[in-house]
Amino acid sequence: MSEPPAYIGFEEYSEHIPASIPAAVQQATSRFVSGRAARVAELPEWEQLRQAGSEIRLHTIENMDVYLAQLEEKILSAGGHVHWAQTAEDANRIVLQIAKEHNVKTAVKSKSMATEEIGLNHFLEKENIQIIETDLGEYIIQLAGTGPSHIIVPAVHLKKEEIAAIFSEKLDMNAPADPIELARIAREILREKFLTAEMGISGGNFLVAETGTLVMVTNEGNGRMCTTMPELHVAVVGIDKIIPDWESLTVFLKLLARSATGQKLSTYTQFITGPRHEEGEFGPKEFHLILLDNGRSNILQDPIGREVFKCIRCGACANVCPVYKNVGGFAYGWFISGPIGAILSPQMLGIKTARELPYASTLCGACADVCPVKIPIPTILRHLRRRVAEGDAISLPTIPVPIRAAAGLSSLALAHNWIYRFGALILPTLMSIFKRNGWIPSAPYPLSRWTKSRPLPPFTSHFRRWWKTARPTQGKDSTR
Amino acid sequence: MTNPILENIRRSLARTPHPTRSLRPDILEPRLPESEDSEVERFLLEVNKLSGKAERLEQANILSALQSLIVEQNIRKATVWNTPRLNQLQITNHLSSLGVELVSPNADKHTSAQCDLGITEADFLLPETGTLVLRSSAEKPRAVSLAPRVHLAIVRPEMLRADMHQVFAEAKDGNYLVFITGPSRTADIELTVTLGVHGPKNLYVWMIVQTSNI
Repeated sequence: MSEPPAYIGFEEYSEHIPASIPAAVQQATSRFVSGRAARVAELPEWEQLRQAGSEIRLHTIENMDVYLAQLEEKILSAGGHVHWAQTAEDANRIVLQIAKEHNVKTAVKSKSMATEEIGLNHFLEKENIQIIETDLGEYIIQLAGTGPSHIIVPAVHLKKEEIAAIFSEKLDMNAPADPIELARIAREILREKFLTAEMGISGGNFLVAETGTLVMVTNEGNGRMCTTMPELHVAVVGIDKIIPDWESLTVFLKLLARSATGQKLSTYTQFITGPRHEEGEFGPKEFHLILLDNGRSNILQDPIGREVFKCIRCGACANVCPVYKNVGGFAYGWFISGPIGAILSPQMLGIKTARELPYASTLCGACADVCPVKIPIPTILRHLRRRVAEGDAISLPTIPVPIRAAAGLSSLALAHNWIYRFGALILPTLMSIFKRNGWIPSAPYPLSRWTKSRPLPPFTSHFRRWWKTARPTQGKDSTR
Repeated sequence: MTNPILENIRRSLARTPHPTRSLRPDILEPRLPESEDSEVERFLLEVNKLSGKAERLEQANILSALQSLIVEQNIRKATVWNTPRLNQLQITNHLSSLGVELVSPNADKHTSAQCDLGITEADFLLPETGTLVLRSSAEKPRAVSLAPRVHLAIVRPEMLRADMHQVFAEAKDGNYLVFITGPSRTADIELTVTLGVHGPKNLYVWMIVQTSNI
């Protein structure tokens, strides 16, 4: 993914979806759903953990400025560097500048949504810096030149035969269609890259204000490699990843892996506070954290919408979403997919660009039920639908004038009894002009939009008049 | 000193110029430990569930255990944390006597990466998840538990902590900490679980217990 999309055509995409996608995606989601359920069942305090997680995240959002300032101070005193990036371009330029200062030719990268968001790979490649994805799934899709279809298993849409073909073509070898063998080949190639790359790039799962600590959660060990072997570590992390302290971390680490993959903990959880102290311990000589805003601080204005920043990126909402399971990750058009993408992308890219996404949901509420930090996703979806319909500070309403006028009139009528009764009195008379054989086969605009596809039933009687004659009498009802 | 991002956050949140934060919501109480024996049992069980190989080992049997490990995993080169406890257990002497080439734990990354076996202790153990918690220093380099294809952790029951809370209280002021929960794994290709994709493929944990007097 290079540039942020100019428009996300969810509907267009969903109509032409390759048949292989839902099948592969559902194989992954059902695995994660049952894994999560098993872990949750083991933990009697699960609901209390969710409640604590939700409250701490809200508290952190409301105090974000104080915690970020504390984080910066702690990282500086630990000997690290902190950079603030207002935009994606700022963040990319800062990474480039650090790379140039250290004469970096190759960078190894551990899976990170923030760098996907800013299009870092594309940007560095244009500057002739080779950037290599090292998470196996990310490595595969980087070779394939496509985007991720699932937050946890980004290459799940590719069959082993397809992956073998990609390896054979791109790496000039004869790769067998065997997952274990393919993983071994990737290990060998990437091991060499870890040892020779001058820079390691990562994202981060949490930033702990108390001590200025970056927390990274991975399973393969590539995250550890990227932050252990090169002399330089640059982390790009959204400002929303901040949490108050290590006590809070106990809650989120217990929620994260169980919700994401159905593990109790992911294999490796690293807690990094600044650069190494002694040369012999390994780890980078220099540590840089780039704090990415990219519109987040504006979204904080909206007390409903900003709850999206409680997210800890587990992907549980996508795994249970009936819409996601049938379209997969690509349909959501940007670095983040599923229900969380449907509420984040419109806020970050603007309502106009992502106006289809708030409708990419049945509002069934399954996502809110599994969310480990209780993000009220359906509420935010409805809130965003309203913004799509009525327009917001930067976008015009998307609903056509006649429909809005009709909605405006009906809300007026429903609010004032006399208008309603007057309308009920004259409408049957007005409609009788168009009535043919008890139906209205064609009506003038805007009602013609309805009658184009089916006839309109005319208003016949009104309920109040009918109720007066048809309701059971009081006496009958009360005697039994 | 102005920071446009912090200023914009304050504007969006309608904060006062010199805000103070409200009190953080409460957090659940830590889990309480059970008897040492059942905590050890739980820890070993969880490591084994994750395809690790964890067992109790009497100190007197270390040499023979090393010998079978070396044969089983075809170990030629090894690197070992330089800690008093591992030195006292004479791990490096044992390895040399078994014909294994030793590489300094502080060797450069290319040399470290060629080791078949890395031996560490742990600073803490979490029984509920089967997690090894390792700090880092020049004597305890990070690469030893990462670069070799086999990782052996030699641990003791005193390292057990009932919950993360206790570990964090003791370890949060260091510059580095890693939780290791099972061997390196991925399910990125057709959801097939594959071990050892970047980190060690094999994780051994030996819980050293008092030699019983028979």
